[in-house]
Amino acid sequence: MVANSILSLSNLIIGYNEPLAGPISLEVQNGEVIAILGISGIGKTTLLRTIAGLVPPIKGSCRLRVDKKGGLGYIPQNLGLVRHASVANNVGLGAGVRLEWTMFSERRKRIEEALKAVGLTEKASEPVRRLSGGQKRRVATARTLAQRPQLILADEFLSELDEGNASAVMEAVLPLVTQGSSLIMVEHNPKHVIRYASRVWWFHDETFTDLSAEEWEKFNPKGGEEA
Amino acid sequence: MMFRLYGAMTALIFLAVIVVNDLAGGDWGRLAGGFDNLVVFFNQSMWPPNWIIFDPVTYPVCKSRFEFMCSIGYSSMYETLQIAFASTIFGFMGAILLSPLAARNLRSNWIGVPVRILLSAIRSLPALIWAIIFVIVVGFGAFSGVLAMTLYTIGYLGKLQYETFEGMNSGPLEAGRAMGLSNFSITNNIVIPENSNHILSQLIFMFEYNVRHSTVIGIVGAGGVGFFINNYMKLMYYDRVFALLIMIFVVVIIIDFVSYIARSFVNEQGDVRRPSWLSAIMRMREKKASEPAD
Repeated sequence: MVANSILSLSNLIIGYNEPLAGPISLEVQNGEVIAILGISGIGKTTLLRTIAGLVPPIKGSCRLRVDKKGGLGYIPQNLGLVRHASVANNVGLGAGVRLEWTMFSERRKRIEEALKAVGLTEKASEPVRRLSGGQKRRVATARTLAQRPQLILADEFLSELDEGNASAVMEAVLPLVTQGSSLIMVEHNPKHVIRYASRVWWFHDETFTDLSAEEWEKFNPKGGEEA
Repeated sequence: MMFRLYGAMTALIFLAVIVVNDLAGGDWGRLAGGFDNLVVFFNQSMWPPNWIIFDPVTYPVCKSRFEFMCSIGYSSMYETLQIAFASTIFGFMGAILLSPLAARNLRSNWIGVPVRILLSAIRSLPALIWAIIFVIVVGFGAFSGVLAMTLYTIGYLGKLQYETFEGMNSGPLEAGRAMGLSNFSITNNIVIPENSNHILSQLIFMFEYNVRHSTVIGIVGAGGVGFFINNYMKLMYYDRVFALLIMIFVVVIIIDFVSYIARSFVNEQGDVRRPSWLSAIMRMREKKASEPAD
């Protein structure tokens, strides 16, 4: 175990009943941004879900060193928003999880800050079901921002966003990383990987490789079409 | 594929005919004279409906400004609606507390199975039997009707609700669980808001259902219009029974229209276009008008 390690994967084999990928042995430090790359169906989402504790590992261990309540932020591929609740209520779910229920003003402050960071302040009272796909992604991001978790797991949370909005969302998330939170994201866009990630977990040719972003760029000079 | 489907359907229909033949003792001749009997009975005993049910009763003396409000028709229907309303609200409160415990995706089987068995046990007795039980327990009158219908509503609405919860999108639940939200918080802040349109729709449906059933439980003395239907039938006042049935029919139709409008406030269709009162009444006509011209 390495000091400051927030996540340790040890000989982890992931999958639903049948092994899908592994064994994976890794350590994640505070403040790291990790991109998971690989073709569809290779196990990227399953790995995130295993880390989140939603799928039991087939073999090996996955140790998280975060607070049990609110230490982990998860943005699933389908975003996991409550469609009939308002934007503010969705963000409030994240804001409330690490606060006592009586801390109304702090909760409100966190919601306002998170919505401002993703540019959705005017949509606060709108039901999520009326928003566009891109706006929903920003709501899911705001929920995680308001939660202020130690580890963020994001499954393709920048897809469906245009370049400007993707940059704005990442700029909103990065201050959390600067404060010591770690981000593990499934990402297909090589530009985002090169710009934001410090490490890349690459599912490639039935193997799993842990690389720095620079090393991955050398492997994939075209910008990683298969990523 | 289609051949198999039609074959299976034919076999099932044939089986059903055999079962009915067995139940009727092979005497299909009973059907032949049946319709004539109904026509004679209707013409001689039921028609015309006797609207005396809307005349004020002579005792107790009517103190209301409108005499109509002292009639058997009005007071019994009012009591029926009161039973249906109170039992729907109390039943809903019971169901919304139990159904998250019964849903397989929200709780383990250690909690879920006993709650599901409890809901099934409540549902296994029809509202009429519950009414008989509560008439014995608390005596005749609308109070026993409310208790019986409340219990039945918990069983029925609880099942509808937990099946809705089980069918919900797993994304919000997984996000909530990964975040570390408590079971109570997940139910309160994710499950109920996410299914709010279904829950409200089922609540309105349950009220309609309870209005119809509250008319029946009066037959065993649990209050409402059924009490008078039963009495008039015993006294062979079928024309008054027919008038009461027409009144129930009209009330149920009105509730159906109101619930159609109310549901539009909670479904996604209502975001785009909310129906007017007129369109609730003239649904068929509006549908035809919206069809593309040939």
